[in-house]
Amino acid sequence: MKFGKRLKQHVEETLPGWRDMYLNYKDLKKIVRLISSSLEYGKSEAEFVYLLNNEIEKFNVFFMEQEENFIIRHKELQQRIKRVNESEPSSQGEYEEEIARIRKDIVDFHGEMVLLVNYSNINYTGMAKILKKYDKRTGGLLRLPFIQKVLEQPFFTTELVSKLVKECETTIDELFPTVVVAAPEMKEAAIIMAGEGIFRNTVAALMTMKEIRKGSSTQSHFSLPVLNLPDTELIRSFQFNSPIPII
Amino acid sequence: MLSELVQDNLVTMEAQHALSFQRSGARQFSNHGAASAQLAPLEDKYPKFTNPQPNFTSGTVGHIFSSSSGMSSDFHFSSVTSHTSLSEKAPFISQSSEILQSTASSQYMKETNNSSWCTDSLPDFLDYPQNTPIQSSNLEHGRMPSEDLLDYPQNTRIQSSNLEHGLMPSEDLLDYPQNTPIQSSNLEQSITPLEDFGKQNDWQDWTDQLINEDDAMTPDWNDILIDTNIADPEPKMAYHVGGSSTNSMQAQPLIPQSSGEICVPLNSTPCGSASQSKPRMRWTPELHEAFVEAVNKLGGSEKATPKGVLKQMKVEGLTIYHVKSHLQKYRTARYRPEPSSEGPLEKNSTSVEDFSSLELKTGLEITEALRLQMEVQKRLHEQLEIQRNLQLRIEEQGRYLQMMFEKQCKSGMDKFTAPSSSELPSLQANPNEPGPDPMVGPSEEGPSKSEPGVSQPAKRAKVNA
Repeated sequence: MKFGKRLKQHVEETLPGWRDMYLNYKDLKKIVRLISSSLEYGKSEAEFVYLLNNEIEKFNVFFMEQEENFIIRHKELQQRIKRVNESEPSSQGEYEEEIARIRKDIVDFHGEMVLLVNYSNINYTGMAKILKKYDKRTGGLLRLPFIQKVLEQPFFTTELVSKLVKECETTIDELFPTVVVAAPEMKEAAIIMAGEGIFRNTVAALMTMKEIRKGSSTQSHFSLPVLNLPDTELIRSFQFNSPIPII
Repeated sequence: MLSELVQDNLVTMEAQHALSFQRSGARQFSNHGAASAQLAPLEDKYPKFTNPQPNFTSGTVGHIFSSSSGMSSDFHFSSVTSHTSLSEKAPFISQSSEILQSTASSQYMKETNNSSWCTDSLPDFLDYPQNTPIQSSNLEHGRMPSEDLLDYPQNTRIQSSNLEHGLMPSEDLLDYPQNTPIQSSNLEQSITPLEDFGKQNDWQDWTDQLINEDDAMTPDWNDILIDTNIADPEPKMAYHVGGSSTNSMQAQPLIPQSSGEICVPLNSTPCGSASQSKPRMRWTPELHEAFVEAVNKLGGSEKATPKGVLKQMKVEGLTIYHVKSHLQKYRTARYRPEPSSEGPLEKNSTSVEDFSSLELKTGLEITEALRLQMEVQKRLHEQLEIQRNLQLRIEEQGRYLQMMFEKQCKSGMDKFTAPSSSELPSLQANPNEPGPDPMVGPSEEGPSKSEPGVSQPAKRAKVNA
């Protein structure tokens, strides 16, 4: 239930519009339990596969819609930057303001894209886990071929979004002033400010990932290695005002 | 069983116009329910068929089915609510959900009658033709989404062809070797003509689904086929091409003539104007560039019309629906740029006021916060990419091990039949014979357990390769 709990937490923490879009892990687990005690092997498997496919469909639809939006927004941000740089600087203040707005928007945009990649990954992980459970429970051989199919699905082929993320990073590097060593108080204030919005989601996602990959009893050569983040302390230091603990 | 398909298709055909791709999930469940309710007429048709398996308890079947359908109703409702929020045409969803509600209870009853329904395969198949015409128009009813989803690499989907009844898993996993995942930035490659795929996949899929759906749904079939199901689901899935094509030989001649008529309307109309299909497009930046260019040529996002843009873009396979929805999104993005710029900004100002220090409002602080945010986000993305690569590699490894394992099994079997052969299993000496390999070992743990044994021949194979 570890993954299930993590997933549930993640879903609660995630962007509101996304909550329904995740894998119905808990329900699928129930079904696997049901199937393992049923006599109807072939039929149950068919129905199980049917449900899985519906989940995949759900992911694909959502993912592609988000992807489309990202493509549009990415272009728009670039246009905005172009416009603000080319336009006659009416006043330094206004220019600065617009740049500041763009900076905030682009960083959040970057975060949203990363969250989509995270969405894809969590659902894939969930799928892999539920298939493993199915095989274990029913003695079936569903996992290997099915997961091959999943690997090719649009929701898992995140290359384009990753590419946009990287392009975003380049743009952001250009947009931000050269690195200034931040005073500790500033950093602290920044951490407090960061406790909301997309930033909060990405931190939560990172911690969730770490937790999901903590060594489990069923670790095999099919499992992902434990995730070790060098600056976990920094990330842990983000004190959010949320009642739901991240860890 | 086929009546289910018939009903599914009828309902779907009605709904096809209105429902968008994303609601196919909801539709599946409603069709499922609707279909079962229609089982009765078909039963009347074949009263002469008796249940050859007296020990088979229809009660159990019914129970299982209703319990899982209970689950599915949960799914259905949850997916309906989520999809409804996304959909523009909610009335159709509520319509189909009503069907589900009304038939949910009747499912149990209908399902228990299943056992007395069909025993003989051939007569059923012979009777299918009258049902298939409607079915065929939906391409896959019983088709794994994977089949259509394998179409994704070319970045288009025909909605009608994606009404999955998702039965046998990767049944067509290897059917479309030509569908190599291409996420190319090439404009031409981003869209493929839909009809060609529809046509060539139809026959095989329909026959596959006819056979396989029957296998899956009919209780008696399961008793007969359960050995094949369990014994070699792997070969069935992975190497199914051989297996299913022999089965399909039976039904195939029956299909073409009857489905021809329905096929025609679908294929004759160009993808763009096929009112039934609302393919889901996978946009690329290049395609979007072309879109923006077209829009600008037509005077901007407000002036441009979907039809005009479609014409201007001259992209094969692009439909007006794609352009319409994309235009809508585009307009929203332009005139309400980045929702975050309104919301959190206000939030920020209120939270900032909580702090006495005025410095929090300085650009420097904000910049610092953003920088920190970027660090975390970059880190997350990095980890995600690593994780994904690992996952891909793990599965690749799994496939490889599986192959090795099977080869070893094969050589083990050969050892049985040819006692004079050497003691050590030799991989390279045994060419793979055509046909599915018998699967020994219940689960994926099989390959891992046999790893010590496999590794040696594997090493040898590696050396020789």
